[in-house]
Amino acid sequence: MATDPWAPPYADPTLPGEVEQDTGIPPAPAGVPVEGRSPWYLAYRRLRRNRVALFFGALFIVIVLFCLAAPLWAHLVAHTGPDTNHLTEKIDINGQPTDVVNVDGIPIGPGLHGKFLLGADANGRDVMVRLMYGGRTSIFIGVMAAFVTTILAVIFGILAAYYRGWTDAVISRAMDVIWAFPVLLLGIALGTALSVSGSGLVLGPIHIADDSIWIPILIIGFVYVPYMARPIRGEVLALREKEFVEAAIAQGAGTMRIMFSEILPNLVSTIIVFFTLNIANNMLLESALSFLGAGVRPPHSSWGSMVSDGYEFLYSAPHLTIIPGLMIVLTVLSLNVFGDGLRDALDPRAKVRLEAAALEESH
Amino acid sequence: MGPTLILVLIMAGAALTSPRRSAQAALGRRPARDTVPRMPSEKPPRAAAAAVIGLALVALGLTSCGGGATAEQGGDLRFDAGSFPDHLDPQLSTGVEGWEAEYNTYIPLLTFQHATGRDGSNVVPGLAKDLPAISADGRTYSLQLQQGLRYSDGTPVKASDFRRAVERLFDLDSGGAPLYAGIVGAAQYRAGEASSISGIEADDATGAITIRLTRPDGEFEDKLALPFTAPVPPDTPAKDQTADPPPSTGPYTISASDPPHRFVLERNPEWESANQGLVPDVPTPHADRITETVVKSRSAQTTQVEHNQADFMVDPPPPDRLLEVAWKYTDRFRTEVTLSAYYFWMNTAKPPFDDLEVRQAVNYAVNLSALERVYDTLMSPTQQVLAPGAPGYVKFTPYPHDFATARALIEEAKPSDLAITVWTDDRGPDQRAGAYLQSVLDRLGFKAKLRTVDRARYFSVIGDRRTPNLDAGLGYRIQELPHPNDLFGPLLNGDAIRRTDSTNLARFDDQALNEEMDRLAQQPLDSSTEGDYGALDQSVMEQAPWAPFGNREATTFTSDRIDFDAVIFNPVMHHDFGSFALD
Repeated sequence: MATDPWAPPYADPTLPGEVEQDTGIPPAPAGVPVEGRSPWYLAYRRLRRNRVALFFGALFIVIVLFCLAAPLWAHLVAHTGPDTNHLTEKIDINGQPTDVVNVDGIPIGPGLHGKFLLGADANGRDVMVRLMYGGRTSIFIGVMAAFVTTILAVIFGILAAYYRGWTDAVISRAMDVIWAFPVLLLGIALGTALSVSGSGLVLGPIHIADDSIWIPILIIGFVYVPYMARPIRGEVLALREKEFVEAAIAQGAGTMRIMFSEILPNLVSTIIVFFTLNIANNMLLESALSFLGAGVRPPHSSWGSMVSDGYEFLYSAPHLTIIPGLMIVLTVLSLNVFGDGLRDALDPRAKVRLEAAALEESH
Repeated sequence: MGPTLILVLIMAGAALTSPRRSAQAALGRRPARDTVPRMPSEKPPRAAAAAVIGLALVALGLTSCGGGATAEQGGDLRFDAGSFPDHLDPQLSTGVEGWEAEYNTYIPLLTFQHATGRDGSNVVPGLAKDLPAISADGRTYSLQLQQGLRYSDGTPVKASDFRRAVERLFDLDSGGAPLYAGIVGAAQYRAGEASSISGIEADDATGAITIRLTRPDGEFEDKLALPFTAPVPPDTPAKDQTADPPPSTGPYTISASDPPHRFVLERNPEWESANQGLVPDVPTPHADRITETVVKSRSAQTTQVEHNQADFMVDPPPPDRLLEVAWKYTDRFRTEVTLSAYYFWMNTAKPPFDDLEVRQAVNYAVNLSALERVYDTLMSPTQQVLAPGAPGYVKFTPYPHDFATARALIEEAKPSDLAITVWTDDRGPDQRAGAYLQSVLDRLGFKAKLRTVDRARYFSVIGDRRTPNLDAGLGYRIQELPHPNDLFGPLLNGDAIRRTDSTNLARFDDQALNEEMDRLAQQPLDSSTEGDYGALDQSVMEQAPWAPFGNREATTFTSDRIDFDAVIFNPVMHHDFGSFALD
């Protein structure tokens, strides 16, 4: 479509409200009835055209499969577990028996020498095996914390926006308080209080031990709630004024039904996008907390704790830090790019809005 | 030739004025500790003085022929440390970093000999004229303060300053106060029921000091040599003086303290004129001024010492630089075994470690060289309670590593409780040591689980009987006193099993061994009791409440400018800053 240089700015098709919807489907020939397409199908078609997002989505799946294969690798190839020490053992490298950890405490590095493919750590544990098991922990924490964030953010976001008034005031100010803290500082403070101090977490009849993996999950899930609840609140504020909500009220639908049967389904695309991006943020925060000793407690390994363990040997055994660090980068990158692609596919207007804002900023 | 001649004359003079100690120092021997009760008027053995003169003449001959290097006097030295000492107040400091600074500043009535190795654990007179005379019942210690001593601000040192120092310990609720709780009246003073400690009598006119104990204490002489009881001026406030350290009696004074950044030691202006001749067992230091600066990064410290920008680093080089330093700087780097015990404790009061065979199996299964690697080679392997250099130490290896024997013992014992929780703290190597024990127990057929606890809370958590699943874990102790009972008493005597803050982590309670420990704890240390401690070490390890694996090593890494061989590492006080001299 040729652009008219004299056209007024409001006619610019790239501006919000005037956009021609990108359905990802070629226009139907004249006279042929247009087949109805669901929004999910349209989103799928748009996503399929975004090759970069698909590549990184596939990369994330490969990483997940790599981590899920940990027991297979441990039993069939490495013949060792993630916590098994080999401090005084030797392996054969080029016909020479070599210490897994030499007498000065420096472990062997990566190489094609049998079971220690990515080398060993300071306790003589197989880095490849620990990387795979640690990845399971990191991804599990990322995903579960994203569930915690999503559930809490959706509940509080809808309640605040639907009821407004004092309910909104209380919830929004509570969110502001959490938001006022830097995420990492709040995470460390909670991690120290619940995990490092040894008290654990008691929620009524539920007691979570201080070394449980659920402590970092709940901490990370909690600190990100405002970051998701606020946009959801904004969206619900707009949705509750829509005709379909008025129609439901006219039909006598109850408050809960309106919130969770009428409004919630309209939030799904937003939730999916936030959920995906949230996993990446959670994994980064988990790594930082574990590095600082306030996240995953030993003997559980995670990529963050592996970076922390290897930090002491940065000069003599850099692989201990670089390899898990690379895995964190790859996983977070893949989730971020794929999440952006999902957002473009599910809510193309959001992309247009962002681009318009960027354009305005550059002017 | 000139300085050598002066040295000879000084040594000969010292031998005649303080013959017993100088002879022992020159011959590398401990002063005899079996002369109980010691009398202040003991006659000098002439044979020892003759030996010193003989040695001095030999030294004269050697230096005349070869022209050996001598240490320079004077100069400014810069030391690096990872952290500021816990306190620069003699009554408060409990850390080695603080004691290193205080070794040449705050001199107690007695002090530890300025020597490396076994000799360094000998107690010699500090501000007192001689070692104490101990009554026959072992409860009364009589000492005589040297007359004419002065603090660095010119204030005369009085006998009552000693009592004030002990009272100040209790006023400050110092970590060192429990060591002196056995003095008569200390408990009442602490409780506020008395205005002074009745068990300490001090006569300022004569300098006589008498200390009465509630019961005999074989370690008390060592306790009097710690900086906790070093006299300070009577007007020293009963609050932490780290930022403005009190005047000192030793050859150095802390002239500036800027916590947590740096502190400066400078020569005590009163030392040469007043104290030097009265405190012959504290040598006059070489450097004029030592500035200790906090440099957080151990790697940066290492680089500075490598390039002679700093003269010494208090901490060891970081693990990934240790190999490089040890390999490249053999002429200015060495390791020093400390009086310490690193061990895995096993709870002897509950299954499966109530079974001797299971405990012995763990001892056989633990590989000491593995743990040497875990601690970046700064762990000297051992399988006994006493450390090399401790009185009574006789080397033995009761459980040489043999995994097959370990497995056989486990099969014979058939432990019913296989679920074990292994406890450790969250410091890097300690955590790795815990992971190693977990791995060893798994290999023996147990289902071990690792629990790591914040280092600051670790001992209070595992010392609390209410903590569930206290099965096994890491324990360690750096000895405050060189006396063997500093390990046996708190760590292995049944009396040390408490509801909270228990220090006997293995809950080891053997009646016969308890009685032997109690008996020895009341005896003054002599060749006989030292032998008994050696036998006790073996008897304890036959019961295997621990799987000991090493003695922690400290390091000495100096710049090129320093006379490396002259640096003294005292087993109790660690680096003797006075021994650092420009080469």
